[in-house]
Amino acid sequence: MSWRIFILATFMCLFTAGAAAAELVVITNPKTGISSMTREEVVNIFLGRFRQFPSGLSAQPADLPAAQPEKALFYRLLVNKDLAEINSYWARLIFSGRTVPPRQTLNNEDLLSFIGKTPGAIGYVEKTKVDSRVKVVLDLAE
Amino acid sequence: MIPAPAMQQGWRQSILYRAVVAVVGSAMFVGVLFIGITAFLTNDRAQQQSQTRLTELLETVEDTVSIACFVEDKSLATEVAHGLLKNGEVLGVVIRSKSSELAKRYRTDAPQLDAERVKRGRQTRKIMSPFNREEVIGEIILDPDPDSFDRYIGQEVRFVGFLLWIQLGGVVLAIVVVMLRLIVRPIKGMSDRLHHMDATRGDRLSVPPGHSGTEVGRLADDINGLANQLVTSLEDERRLRLQREIDEKKYRAIFDNAETGIFIADRSGRIESRNPALARFVELPAETADVEIMLYQLPWNEQQRLSQTVGDCIDGNVVSSGDFEFTRLDSSICWLNVLLSPIGGGHVQGVVVDVTERKLAEDSAKRQAITDPLTGAANRTGLEQKVLTLIRQGDGQAGANFCLMLVNLDGFKPVNDALGLPVGDLVLKHAVERLQSSLKTSDIVARVGGDEFALVLPLVRSEELAGNIGERIVRSLGRNYEVHTTPVQLGASIGITLYPNDGKDIPTLLRNAELALDRAKVSGGSRYSFFDPAMVEAAERRRALESDLQLALRHKQFRLFCQPIVDLPSNRLVGAEALIRWEHPQRGRVPPDAFIPVAEETGLIVELGIWIVEEACRQLITWRDAGRDWYLSINISGRQIPEGLTPAKIAEVVQQFGVDPQRLVLEITEGVLLADVSKALDWLTQVRALGFGLYLDDFGTGYSSLSYLKRFPVDTVKIDKSFVHDMGVNQSDRALVAAIIAMAQSLGLQVVAEGVEDETQLNLLRDMGCRRVQGYYFSKPVAAEEFDEVASRIEGMLK
Repeated sequence: MSWRIFILATFMCLFTAGAAAAELVVITNPKTGISSMTREEVVNIFLGRFRQFPSGLSAQPADLPAAQPEKALFYRLLVNKDLAEINSYWARLIFSGRTVPPRQTLNNEDLLSFIGKTPGAIGYVEKTKVDSRVKVVLDLAE
Repeated sequence: MIPAPAMQQGWRQSILYRAVVAVVGSAMFVGVLFIGITAFLTNDRAQQQSQTRLTELLETVEDTVSIACFVEDKSLATEVAHGLLKNGEVLGVVIRSKSSELAKRYRTDAPQLDAERVKRGRQTRKIMSPFNREEVIGEIILDPDPDSFDRYIGQEVRFVGFLLWIQLGGVVLAIVVVMLRLIVRPIKGMSDRLHHMDATRGDRLSVPPGHSGTEVGRLADDINGLANQLVTSLEDERRLRLQREIDEKKYRAIFDNAETGIFIADRSGRIESRNPALARFVELPAETADVEIMLYQLPWNEQQRLSQTVGDCIDGNVVSSGDFEFTRLDSSICWLNVLLSPIGGGHVQGVVVDVTERKLAEDSAKRQAITDPLTGAANRTGLEQKVLTLIRQGDGQAGANFCLMLVNLDGFKPVNDALGLPVGDLVLKHAVERLQSSLKTSDIVARVGGDEFALVLPLVRSEELAGNIGERIVRSLGRNYEVHTTPVQLGASIGITLYPNDGKDIPTLLRNAELALDRAKVSGGSRYSFFDPAMVEAAERRRALESDLQLALRHKQFRLFCQPIVDLPSNRLVGAEALIRWEHPQRGRVPPDAFIPVAEETGLIVELGIWIVEEACRQLITWRDAGRDWYLSINISGRQIPEGLTPAKIAEVVQQFGVDPQRLVLEITEGVLLADVSKALDWLTQVRALGFGLYLDDFGTGYSSLSYLKRFPVDTVKIDKSFVHDMGVNQSDRALVAAIIAMAQSLGLQVVAEGVEDETQLNLLRDMGCRRVQGYYFSKPVAAEEFDEVASRIEGMLK
């Protein structure tokens, strides 16, 4: 196991260094009709408080797998929590069943495609990976 | 002794009961107080603990509640509330989000509780967003169960109280037991014993075991000490009482049997106690023994003074006394001395003694003090008292005067000497009787000297009257006194002074009267003489002469002059008569007639006499050394015989100078022989025996008793110059001188004729057979240093 922790730590260092260079942006389906969002609106949606856009459209948040360094970076930038804390948070909520964690995507491409074809979908991606299928509503580097 | 029922009822009074009550009471008080404090402190502590526990509880669920509130998850909130209710202290939980109440759960089995009481313990906590620690997103309210809280406190207090009561119970029990054993039982034992103790029988407390040094032990010792003191005091008291009874009996015996009267009286004179002697003194009848009598009602002659004395004694608290006259039942007077001592309480103790005899003796002594015992006339003191009284009465009253006379009996002394003292005394008594009979009763006769009397005549104010009385007295006293059938003839001289002209006090009056008396005597006696101020001057002159005379000897102012004496048959100078001269620096030459009487009276003659003997010896030595065999005769005054110039003294001086006694001749006058015949005779005999010559001077002028010539051992008579002087012209004088010479020759005596002034006289005397002569015919008296020259001249005359 130790070597895997070592690798993980190495990756984390690499991506952290890369993140400093890379920027994460919150993206939505362009058809959602949202030009920009506040950080708080993003928090409410991703952490299961309200799953609606201000326009009343139901929001479907999408997460990257934990293996993707962008996920940890996203929650760090968003609510300053690490992934373990986020997991604990969800563990307590799952028990009651009132809300569920964001949809798990497989990778960046999967995420981009999910958002591009699902109205009301919301996710996050490295700024460089943004394409026409999605619309950037919040730049987390700001 | 306390009765038994009282003791039974008094168990509440016992120390044990009180001590137990006190200990239990204070233990209960302390216990309750302590439990109260415990309950208060426990309540407080329990509340704090409860708060802490609830806070901890809230902290445990805070995160979950935060999430529940964040997503407004009711089921999660309910779950949390359920969980909290499982804690017994929690009564209910309310969880609210910002918008709605997520859960509200209360214990269903909880009884209906007072909302206010529940609210007091309520805890409310704001719930923050799990993602934003500054955003409040809800709250949780936790109500603790107050009953459980109270139950907890109750349990705590009961436990603490239980422990406390056990402790206090143990301590109280221990204290009570210890007190009972150590204090109460010994004290109770002592108390019981003391209660029945009889100290006089010797009962004493024993010190409880183990208490020998403690307060209980000391208490027992002290009580025993007090008991001993009490017994001693009682014993002393008993002895004193006994002694007092004995003393009382003794005093009573003394009181009853005393010879002096004793009484106790108060200020008003009420006699409260008296003895039989007092009753005798004041002559109370026997039947009045029990009757109260008043001191001042007794027949005192001066009741006022007696009550005054009693008052002084009480007021001054001093012993006072006095002699009081008392009239007896038979009207006789007696004197009682009352000695009063204050005895307090306004009472005096009086001691009464009969002093009648002493009083009479005193009065008699007083009378005697002013009375001449021989004649019954007043003495000098009596006289002075009388004169003083008169002078006082006369003070300030013009014409209030009196006459003082001094009377002296002329020639009393020879009578006394010749006939003896008893005769003299009788004469004096007669004289006084005559004086009294010739005076008024208001006049005073006093004897102020051996034969001198003073008369005070208060009613005599004029010289004329005084003179008449004086004349009467002279006549009266001049009559013959018949004593033992022998008639005695005396004269009386009187000096008279009148007050106040002749003196304003007694000494002056007496002195002036004396001067007047002297004048009367000098004038021949048997007469009276009034005082004259000139007498004072004369007396003063005489006093000055006396004092000069005293100094003269010391200042060597005396000298001896010598007048030659010639022996006719042999036509030779044989000796000289030494004559004293006084050369005074101011007075000049004072004749012997002027100073010898004064020297005789003052006694200076004694010293002067010795000086003359010494000076004569000195002269005789000078002559002897010059080969002259002259003798020297000196004059001896009557005052020098026999004591003034004793034969032994003359012999001593003569021997001292180494002079032959036969060269010194002593000349005496007939007056010497008049004084004290036997003594004079002794003196003459001794002088003759010592070998001195003895001349009888001035023969023929005095009494010239021929028998003297036979009786006295003189070897020569000197014919007085008054006879020689007139011999040439007066036939009788010539006959007298011839007779004396013849008589002397027939008696085997030598004759010296004095005062021979011319040859006629000398030849006459030579023809009459007179051997020796002296006089101006040969030489006047000359100083010793001139004598040799005179001697040569006389020797020339005689050739």
